[in-house]
Amino acid sequence: MFIKSHILKNTFRDSVYLMRLSGTVREFEGVIEAETIVGTDHNKKFLRSGGLWTDEIETEAGANDLIIAVKAEDEEKAEQAIQSALDEMNKQVERENLLGDFVPRTFETALQNLSGANLALLSIPGRYVRREADQVLDAGLHLMIFSDNVSLEDEVALKQKALEKDLLVMGPDCGTAIINGIPLAFANEVKQGKIGVVAAAGTGLQEVSSLISNLGEGISQGIGTGGRDVKAAVGGITMLQGLEALLKDSNTEVVVIVSKPPDSEVTEKVLAAAAESKKPVVVNFLGGDLEQVRKAGCEPAGTLKEAAQKAVNLSRKKDAGSGDSVLKADEKLAGGEKKKYKENQKYLRALYSGGTLAYETLILLQGTISDIYTNLSYEGAEKIDDVYKSRANTVIDFGEDEFTQGRLHPMIDPSLRNSRIIEESKDPETAVIMLDLVLGHNAHPDPAGSALEAIREAKEIAQKDGRHLSFVTTVCGTDEDIQNRGEQVAKLEKEGVLVFPSNADAAVFAAELLSN
Amino acid sequence: METLFNSELKIINIGLEGFAETLKERGTSVMHVRWQPPAMGNDDLLSLLDKLK
Repeated sequence: MFIKSHILKNTFRDSVYLMRLSGTVREFEGVIEAETIVGTDHNKKFLRSGGLWTDEIETEAGANDLIIAVKAEDEEKAEQAIQSALDEMNKQVERENLLGDFVPRTFETALQNLSGANLALLSIPGRYVRREADQVLDAGLHLMIFSDNVSLEDEVALKQKALEKDLLVMGPDCGTAIINGIPLAFANEVKQGKIGVVAAAGTGLQEVSSLISNLGEGISQGIGTGGRDVKAAVGGITMLQGLEALLKDSNTEVVVIVSKPPDSEVTEKVLAAAAESKKPVVVNFLGGDLEQVRKAGCEPAGTLKEAAQKAVNLSRKKDAGSGDSVLKADEKLAGGEKKKYKENQKYLRALYSGGTLAYETLILLQGTISDIYTNLSYEGAEKIDDVYKSRANTVIDFGEDEFTQGRLHPMIDPSLRNSRIIEESKDPETAVIMLDLVLGHNAHPDPAGSALEAIREAKEIAQKDGRHLSFVTTVCGTDEDIQNRGEQVAKLEKEGVLVFPSNADAAVFAAELLSN
Repeated sequence: METLFNSELKIINIGLEGFAETLKERGTSVMHVRWQPPAMGNDDLLSLLDKLK
């Protein structure tokens, strides 16, 4: 075994880039462990504790430098792996040309060089957000904050400042938005149209906007607020601003609101604002009180699919429709699957990358099946003790902090979830493995292909033991996404994976498979 | 907000380069900022710098 390092002085790359590069180097032949990392004291401690330590790192690497550290079978392999990292970085330099010859280092310089700039997208560590965001708002730009770990105090201060200036702050922790037809961060390629969405739920916005597009209508604006916006402490500032803007917008004819149930005073404010409008407003407070929504004169939706369908109907000047009939599981298909299970195969293992989708599944399972455990906060299910080990029926969101510390989000790197698919197949009590495949910009280029590698192995394990596993999936996205939903679905179906048109359909079908 | 909805979107992207690249590939007007932690990530130095402003 040989440990080798290489220090690149005065070199900086962003965290997502470095985590991707580390992954590429680890796959290099003969490599046991590898990290490409900025040489801060914190990171150096991490390398030392992980056994990736050299004298060179100790003496040469500082906070402005980049460290490539490799543990390999021998010196030659370590050197080759380091060279592969350097080659990869050179490729990136070529790619950087795409960004233009001039790449500024500060917001101030960028502002001087982009005439008419009207929106900033911030994706930097949370503790630095306030500093940059203040500058953005002072310069009169709207703001989308992708970063998480921004303090509540900072969020409130930024949103209040923005409100005074009639600017929008989407986020913190806002992964998706569509402004003037342009998908930001993780958004999907959807048709432009007359339905406006304001959402405090990232994959909720992705699911609703994709379903609307797949039903043939389009999105005028998709405003993300960040999940904490609807808490009393923030008061729904962005949700109310977004709603008001959509109600005034001449290109928006129908509005959809998506959120986990807001705190009661925020719910009241949002519904009161919606009630004043002549435009139809469809509300999906996931698991919230439908009657309260109806009483406010809005159109309640129990699921993301129902919200999309009702918005489409209303935009076509039809009745919203009941939406109920769309959630009926195919009993014949379910019966065929159930017959193949062994007697003790009785549990669901739902492995999610989209938090809102996982939450919706919990809502839809409740009442049909019992003994549900999850790592999400949901009243109708038990909190799981060990997130790495399923228990009875388990719904896991791999996008939660416990899985993403120092790792890429599962929508970009599904490897952790793929290992879990294989683990679940070893459990003789597993009957159904449920997955969401989320397409869109910046997500994995081929989530179906990646999941299928694990699914094939899982099937083989189960088959050796005489068991049949049902794979129930939903593919969130559109044919216009770079991954192409149609192609992703075809790939999965070719190998016997059951694919449903929405997450709600998949969840209801999974519940049917486990009902007596 | 109406001005935002009725104007061409021009974006300053601060942080992850991938976001700027996908926007650029779509033909959106975007300028990327190669952001680095201020004061070399030294919090004490940073608060001192902020006080000097």
